[in-house]
Amino acid sequence: MAQLISIDPVTRIEGHMRIDVEVEGGVVKDAWSSGTMFRGYEMLIKGKHPWDAQQVMQRICGVCPMVHGTAASYALDTAMGVKLPDNARLIRNLCLGANFIQSHILHFYHLQALDYVDVTAVTKYDGPDPALKMLRDKITGLAAASDLYPFLPRYESPDYIGGEGGPGDPGIATELVGHYVQAFEMRKKAHEMLAVFYGRMPMSVGTIPGGVTTPPTLANIAAFRSRLNELQKWIADVYVADVKYVATQDAYSAFIKAGDSGGNFLAYGGMDQNQAGTDKYFKPGVITDYKALSPEKFDPDRVTESVKHSWYKDSTEGLKPAVGKTEPDVGKQGAYSFIKAPRYDNKPMEVGPLSRQLVNKDPVFMELANKLGVLTPPVKFGIIPRTGARAVEALLLSLEMEKWLDQLTEGIGSNIWDSSGKKIPDKSKGMGLVEGPRGSLGHWITIDGGKTANYQAVVPTTWNAAPRDKNGVRGPIETALLGIPVPDPNNPINVVRCIRSFDPCLACAIHVIHPEHNGVKEFRVV
Amino acid sequence: MAGKTVSRRQFLKHAGATVALLGLSETLIPQMARALQALAAGKPPIIWIQGQNCTGCSVSFLNSNYPGVAELVLDKLSVRYQPNVMAGTGQAAIAAINDTVAAAKGGKGIYVLVVEGAVPTKEGGEYCTFGLSDKKKALADTNVQVPGDKTIHEWMKELVPGAAAVIANGNCASFGGIPAANAAVTGATPVSKIVAEIDPKKPMVNVGGCPSHPDWFVGTALQALIALGVLPGGKQLNLNENKMSKTFFGQLIHENCERRGAFDAGLFLEDWNEQSPDFKLCMFKQGCKGPVTYADCPIRRWNSGVNWCVGANAPCSGCASPSYYKELTPLYQPLPNMSFGGITPATDVVGWVAAGATAVGIGAHYLYKQLGSKPDEAEGGEK
Repeated sequence: MAQLISIDPVTRIEGHMRIDVEVEGGVVKDAWSSGTMFRGYEMLIKGKHPWDAQQVMQRICGVCPMVHGTAASYALDTAMGVKLPDNARLIRNLCLGANFIQSHILHFYHLQALDYVDVTAVTKYDGPDPALKMLRDKITGLAAASDLYPFLPRYESPDYIGGEGGPGDPGIATELVGHYVQAFEMRKKAHEMLAVFYGRMPMSVGTIPGGVTTPPTLANIAAFRSRLNELQKWIADVYVADVKYVATQDAYSAFIKAGDSGGNFLAYGGMDQNQAGTDKYFKPGVITDYKALSPEKFDPDRVTESVKHSWYKDSTEGLKPAVGKTEPDVGKQGAYSFIKAPRYDNKPMEVGPLSRQLVNKDPVFMELANKLGVLTPPVKFGIIPRTGARAVEALLLSLEMEKWLDQLTEGIGSNIWDSSGKKIPDKSKGMGLVEGPRGSLGHWITIDGGKTANYQAVVPTTWNAAPRDKNGVRGPIETALLGIPVPDPNNPINVVRCIRSFDPCLACAIHVIHPEHNGVKEFRVV
Repeated sequence: MAGKTVSRRQFLKHAGATVALLGLSETLIPQMARALQALAAGKPPIIWIQGQNCTGCSVSFLNSNYPGVAELVLDKLSVRYQPNVMAGTGQAAIAAINDTVAAAKGGKGIYVLVVEGAVPTKEGGEYCTFGLSDKKKALADTNVQVPGDKTIHEWMKELVPGAAAVIANGNCASFGGIPAANAAVTGATPVSKIVAEIDPKKPMVNVGGCPSHPDWFVGTALQALIALGVLPGGKQLNLNENKMSKTFFGQLIHENCERRGAFDAGLFLEDWNEQSPDFKLCMFKQGCKGPVTYADCPIRRWNSGVNWCVGANAPCSGCASPSYYKELTPLYQPLPNMSFGGITPATDVVGWVAAGATAVGIGAHYLYKQLGSKPDEAEGGEK
């Protein structure tokens, strides 16, 4: 007998997400994901001065504003024929990198960890660490006052670390909760690091068409480096170690393979290593049907968007984003989402840290994947490799960032800006393809009469949270939910463990839409 | 009682540091110190919901210093609902709201409602929903009936009546912000307007900023709790005409800008490659909205005081202004070229010029020229 479970709100993600799952025989048989908030960024930017784009588009998402600001800057650069100075390229890499580190730490500790760690176990801590004893007393006091918000209420589960019957013990759970508290400070430092060059965070001001605004003085480089060094050490000693601990618990061994999105992975590539952008830190590439060791070349021309199950006119089916149209058709039969279904060679694609690590075939990640048995048949990439890839990526990127700092040409009068960024053409087009914390992001701008005439964005969560396409093929998150064990329908913890492993950002996924007519009246959600 | 115990000496030391970093005047310190002490003894429940937002104000809140966010969440506030932080999901999350509202109705405690994001009102409010409603809907592409969606507007109607106060956190909640630039489609509405429709007497404050600075939010929330009598202090909130705390939004950015000397001397940044090691150039010609924006960014700065927008050689985009974004675009063009509703830049800039005794030199003359008025006319103008 099948049972339907509607989960809304999906918390500890960015944005407004609803998931409906059909459960039969204790596992998920089918899944539907919906975004439930709409603002309309591409509508309100039309007719504005093109420079506004990199400010306004950052506001799509307050968790990852920098990746939108960076993609918009590259889109504007190409529209204006900018030759980006090396210093500007490096500072853009560094500040985007700082956003990655902030986002990845935040994701594991503050968005994901409460799915695995029993905070109430802290009350049973009997170890010697003075700081953890203080934490125990604090949590014990809150428990005595029946005020353990925001840690309770929660889905109950017999496999929380430190909980009754779960892996580990109260001592380990307390250490992890201690790291949860430390992680607030660490992610804050990553924001401070970004603010050195970009003024503030969230919503930064330091990247502009043509380059960046702050020169790499010795003082700026030192202010950035001291925080970076502290973060590198913490990521290696604490973050990566904690992810390894969770990943190797027998209680979670099913999640090594469960939560697999279907074997297709895509990375646009990002963080240029030369001015032409021909060499990138994150390599572009495509993996299809689990051929994880042999990524193919990425060709942006093969990206299309299906709207069969989205509330858009069927006449816009299969268009490429650069010439994309967004014509709503709300009452359309069989449609159930305002998220379009982007496809590469007609295949759904997972984007994000796991895709990047597989495309890059980084030895550190491949060794971890091997140890976990991910690559032994049947090859599946579940919740744990996805989470592991994010931690490995944070560490490797933090090390690469130090090299970028070393490459900067120091000095207040150093070249950080190409003034052609100020010359707004009457007519032009631009494209910015980058990698963000959650995956591949593309911005497309059309300038006409010196104003923004059209703006399109295909963002990571559009790929990952896509609905079914014209062939009825589910999106990556929908596919990943299939087979997820749900032993207790009142506490579908594994469903949200799977969703959160993608680090979804709904505000990003559903900013799109610009009704050309007033058909908007009939819109339901998004 | 919940929370840690500290000696009075420790407490005052800590409270002093907090108050100092919130940037408050000496006269406010004893009042705020008492308030913080009271917070440590009994944590006021917070229900923090999100409308048409981007989560930037929540992320900015995580950057709070003295008290840090861990201290705020564990020791100072009882965070009943906050979708990015809370453990509960789905009905477990909604249960936390329901329990808190039921307790307040039963006279067992209060709650403060924090709203992040604008409230869409068009098409039945369906542009923003969370949680399940009593109504039914068809599931996706099937005929199966499942619970419908509950709009943020419905949540407001349910949560505002029992709230001790409502805090609109950030520019979207306070004034509509960026979503209001598309209000024709979604009906993005400021929280104050929705609250007034539900209960015109409900105490409410706005915290501007895109995003809000954590000190602005934490400080205004403390002041609101004091004004409500939840915390000791007894003084009324000192709000400006936009319901924003004058402690944080009382002065023009331009008045306190570290580069005002450059403005007065007429030294404007024209090319980002031509920066002086000796002198930081004024961002006015690159579109700085500091002359029309009331906020204490130049003094408070952002991210633990590391920097701020003008400090990064970028123009202030006026994100704390009620006019942001719709009336402040184009963001990178000098002020007088812009069309405005409400506040006109001319009034405010000239007002500032009239008020500033040192407003002479090339900077001021540049301004007069752009505004099309003469210095002697401007001097007579009061804002």
